[in-house]
Amino acid sequence: MRRVPPRLFLRELWLQLDQIAVRSAPLVISGMAFFGTVLITIANVQARKFTGNLVVLGPAYFELLLREFGPVTSALLVAARYGSSSAAEISSMSVTEQLDAIRMCAGDPASDVVAPRVLAGAIGVPALCILGTAAAGLSAVFTALLVLHVDGWAFLDPRYLDASDFLSAGAKVLLCGLYIPLVAAVHALPAQGGSAAVGRATTRAVVAACLGCLVIDVLVGLAFRVLGL
Amino acid sequence: MIGALGRWALLGVRWMGAGAVLSARVIARLPQVRARELVRSSARLGADSVPLVLVAAVVSGMMMVLQTQLYVERYGARAFLGWAASFAVLWEFGPLLLGLMMAARAGAQNAAELAALSASGHLEGLEGVALDPIALLVAPRMTALLAASAALSALFFTVAIAFEIAASALALHIHPNVFLGSLRELLGPRDLLAGTIKTTAFGSAVAVISSLSGLRARGGARAVGEATARSVQGAAAAIFGLDFALTQILTPLLGSPR
Repeated sequence: MRRVPPRLFLRELWLQLDQIAVRSAPLVISGMAFFGTVLITIANVQARKFTGNLVVLGPAYFELLLREFGPVTSALLVAARYGSSSAAEISSMSVTEQLDAIRMCAGDPASDVVAPRVLAGAIGVPALCILGTAAAGLSAVFTALLVLHVDGWAFLDPRYLDASDFLSAGAKVLLCGLYIPLVAAVHALPAQGGSAAVGRATTRAVVAACLGCLVIDVLVGLAFRVLGL
Repeated sequence: MIGALGRWALLGVRWMGAGAVLSARVIARLPQVRARELVRSSARLGADSVPLVLVAAVVSGMMMVLQTQLYVERYGARAFLGWAASFAVLWEFGPLLLGLMMAARAGAQNAAELAALSASGHLEGLEGVALDPIALLVAPRMTALLAASAALSALFFTVAIAFEIAASALALHIHPNVFLGSLRELLGPRDLLAGTIKTTAFGSAVAVISSLSGLRARGGARAVGEATARSVQGAAAAIFGLDFALTQILTPLLGSPR
């Protein structure tokens, strides 16, 4: 990889962080808040059927939220939001020959365009996951208190949490954060031939990003299970 | 902050209004839809999504078993695993994942196609020779998306539950008969109905939002990319919002009778 002037690299990184973390935050936070409400409603139905009380099931669901649903749902939302717009941007740069212009000025699209996005993903997606999981947890607590009339704070019981939960969640979001911008770039860089190519590249990138996040989730889950963590 | 919220609300209202107008126009023109275009759209938007839906179903089945083993380990609830895992797939994760996949694959493709036509002036060309782009292009695509989401939900549920049975037999040594027994006892057609209602609602949201953002694209390659991205983002936001609303409505109506 060719060296990019650090000042330009930092500026582009800052721009991409704004795109991925700040502009995606409303979608991730509101989506995860809805998700938390739904999760606690479902948990309530299940709890009534076989343990009798949400308070018994709450801590197990809290662990699930932190370890599984928080990371994977936030990552899917970022894949939809940032994956699509990043792929659309890069592929329209490619179709309008802006990437060729970069190459002609002795630049390299991989280091000038893609690298800041990947780094921004690795920083931004974990941050968004923390925000999203917090939103989901809080909205679950308030749904339990206000709608279901059970002790919502029992849901936030960290009884079952241990280091492996945080490690597993961290591994998932970090891998997804690296993967989403990378796969968007992989599908968008070779786009050639007009507006139809831009649409095709964007579609493929979103599909690959969503599917990849699911696969990363299952693989990390399986790895932690096999390692016995 | 308040200004941003207001802008969001206005944007939401505007999209809902535009969506209602578009849906009404499509419904009014349903009799004019040509069978050939409908079959072609169903194949492109529905049948071509099958591999993706299969992978998503397999992954979500495995995910559910990985998660519900918590019940097995902590509460010894072996007899309930089948019900817990299938209930979660039917009510929540199946519809949610399927909706996101429809938005990512079929919705994005629909938006990209319509945007490419719209940005290059083809739609105005059709209108210029007295052909109606809504009846010719949009109505068959939206019908196909709606039918595909209902049909794909049946496929998704079947495959996901089959993989739950396989994964729980292999990883947790729960006999398939025990799993099926808990399904027979605790799961009913109401749960299946709830899942189908949710997926169909998500499918119609994807159809309306993707067609709308595709039709609105103006001005070259950049606009096509933006329309496609906006379709995926809008559909994802709508799916999470609808999921919340439908869960609150359906749980008292179809929730397990106690």
